[in-house]
Amino acid sequence: MRSPRSLRVLLFLAAGVAAATAAFGQREATESGVKAAFLYKFANYIEWPANAFTSPTAPLVIGVLGADEIAGELDRIVPGRNVNGHPVNVKRLKSGDGAAGVHILFVGKEQGGGAATVRAAREQGALTVTESERGLETTGSAINFVTAGERVAFEVSLDSAEKSGHRISSRMLAVAKRVVPRS
Amino acid sequence: MTLGAVSRSLRRKVLLLVLAATAIALGLSALGLVIYDLRAYERQWTNDLNTQAELLARTSAAALSFGDRETATRDLAVLKVRPRVMVAAIYTRDGELFATYAKPFVVNPTFPARPEADGYRIEGDELLIYRRVVEGSEPIGTIYMRALYLPWDRLRDYLGILLAVMIASFGVAALLSGWLQGAVTDPILEVSNVARRVIEQRDYSLRARKTTEDEIGQLVDSFNAMLAEAGRRADALRESDVRKDEFLATLAHELRNPLAPIRNALEILKMPGANPAMLEKARQMMERQLAQMVRLVDDLLDVSRITTGKLGIRKALLEVQAAVRDAIETARPFLEARRHQLEVQLPSQPISIEGDRTRLAQVFANLLHNAAKYTEPGGYITLSLAEEDDQAVVRVRDTGIGLAPESLAAIFDMFVQVDRTLERTQAGLGVGLTLSRQLVTLHGGTIEAKSGGLGKGSEFTVRLPLAGAALANADPEVRRLRARQSRRILLADDNADFADSLAELFAARGHEVRVAHNGAEALAAAAAFNPDFAFLDIGMPKVHGYEVARRLRDMPATSECVLVAVTGWGQEDDRQRAREAGFDRHILKPVDPAEIDLILDSY
Repeated sequence: MRSPRSLRVLLFLAAGVAAATAAFGQREATESGVKAAFLYKFANYIEWPANAFTSPTAPLVIGVLGADEIAGELDRIVPGRNVNGHPVNVKRLKSGDGAAGVHILFVGKEQGGGAATVRAAREQGALTVTESERGLETTGSAINFVTAGERVAFEVSLDSAEKSGHRISSRMLAVAKRVVPRS
Repeated sequence: MTLGAVSRSLRRKVLLLVLAATAIALGLSALGLVIYDLRAYERQWTNDLNTQAELLARTSAAALSFGDRETATRDLAVLKVRPRVMVAAIYTRDGELFATYAKPFVVNPTFPARPEADGYRIEGDELLIYRRVVEGSEPIGTIYMRALYLPWDRLRDYLGILLAVMIASFGVAALLSGWLQGAVTDPILEVSNVARRVIEQRDYSLRARKTTEDEIGQLVDSFNAMLAEAGRRADALRESDVRKDEFLATLAHELRNPLAPIRNALEILKMPGANPAMLEKARQMMERQLAQMVRLVDDLLDVSRITTGKLGIRKALLEVQAAVRDAIETARPFLEARRHQLEVQLPSQPISIEGDRTRLAQVFANLLHNAAKYTEPGGYITLSLAEEDDQAVVRVRDTGIGLAPESLAAIFDMFVQVDRTLERTQAGLGVGLTLSRQLVTLHGGTIEAKSGGLGKGSEFTVRLPLAGAALANADPEVRRLRARQSRRILLADDNADFADSLAELFAARGHEVRVAHNGAEALAAAAAFNPDFAFLDIGMPKVHGYEVARRLRDMPATSECVLVAVTGWGQEDDRQRAREAGFDRHILKPVDPAEIDLILDSY
């Protein structure tokens, strides 16, 4: 309600975000809010590599590059929550920062053609998430937000996820708008 | 079927029993099964739906989480393979409907406005389930399902199956009871039929057919054995009837025999010119023939006593020679009629035994009679008496038709006659040897028959134990002396004539006699007179004989007195009572003076 744009998005996402807002019991959802909630929720459906955490209570780090608004939403969501016993930390990254220690790296669209960043992060073992309307193939990320009609949806590239050493739950794949199989 | 029919027909009882047992067993097991199943049904069905809800919660978590209604709706749509699940829905965490499902035939499906807490409940014929959807550890929504809950349908199915099973079981039971009828009731009916035919036809040779070896088979066996026994008895009865008829005819004839000599004697008595010797002879003959008739009547009684095992003898000391002479006298007319020659060998020294003179004479006469009867006229018959090994032995030998070895044992049986072809006039009563054996046995003796075979004559031997050795060996001189001794005798009898005549008899023999006419007098007389012997009537007025005997025994003066009961009753019971009362001897009226002499001589 802070801006006309927010209002418009709210209208757009009316039903789509109902679940997200329900899950967090917060104010009206914005697109950033939905995406932030999704980022956090993805963690529940990911099978992490064996060496991803140093201990069962080690924090799960969500790195955000070039999307301050989403980072801000995440900051509000994560305190006090955990994923399978891992508390969730949000880490704001700047261009050029490495993805070391980051479990999920979100590359915002302000970052432009982030294919190189994505590739670098993937090699460092981070699950990469982008928000490119041009699709997964251009970013090379494992998950890519798209808008489907009036709601936020996502695409999944099993190929990319595998390259970073992740397996994605079939239950999550069931709700993905598009799944790119392994090549 | 009426109650009466049931109680009459064994077959129906068996059928009813089998059917009732089947029905009860099936009913009880079905009841148990239904109760168990109704409980299991609820548990299974709720478990089943819970599992289904759990599955849905898992599969739809992502859809709910990422707000994907289409996927959630698709997830719910799998419920179309569950025919009883009518409607289902997914609610968001806030309690708003997120996705729904309803069977196509459910018109205007309704859903609760808000989901309830986890759990299930039964509402009418529907089962309602709520189940939270959890992501990680966070609840993110609720699954709702409504399914048909129809235990009564199931119950109906059960009852249907039970009915079918019952019908089948009853069929089997009917078959079984049919078989049982074959195994159980048929043999019993057979027995019952045979029993009826036996009663109707009096045919004891009929037998029930035995078809099994079980208890019924045993019943049939027992029944047949009973029939055989009944048949034997019927035959025995018939045969005994025939024998008795013959016996009666013979008896009539025998009773007439003594009457001829008696009539002749009477004629002699009536003759005006008869000399005293002739008269005496006639009188003696009449006495003998009368005695013979009495004996015949006694025989009749004996027959009945033999039949009932109550034949008794009146024992007294006697010389065997006397009995033998009596027998010869009895048999002589018949021997003479058959022109037999009789040789008699009697020792000069008396042989004493304790016995019944009349009975023994009867035995010997019988043997003589038989010898005469079964020897062709003009035969040779020997009768000998001897003392051997403390036994008096009487042998009767003849030169007659003899006996086949196989008949030797049978001839002592009642109504058995060796030669059935003999004319009735010679047949006799057919009880002779039976009676003889019984009598000899009662005397503690034996009788046996010997024969060299048919046509070689026969020999009958009677052995009787001698009386007490002292008496038997007593010097005849001593006994004569004793006999001369005067005794003090008390006679008590309410029959004055009898008492007085007997008193005269004693007095004539040199004894001292007192007479009393009732028990009280007898006691008084005994106290004053102190007799050696007391002859007491039993049926006396005031105090009866038994009581007199008891009191005499109790009085010191008469405790050693010889007490003799004189009665008209000679049954073993009477003798027993007399002994118990303290009597030493028991003699029967009419009293034979010789018997009294013997008693007096014995003490």
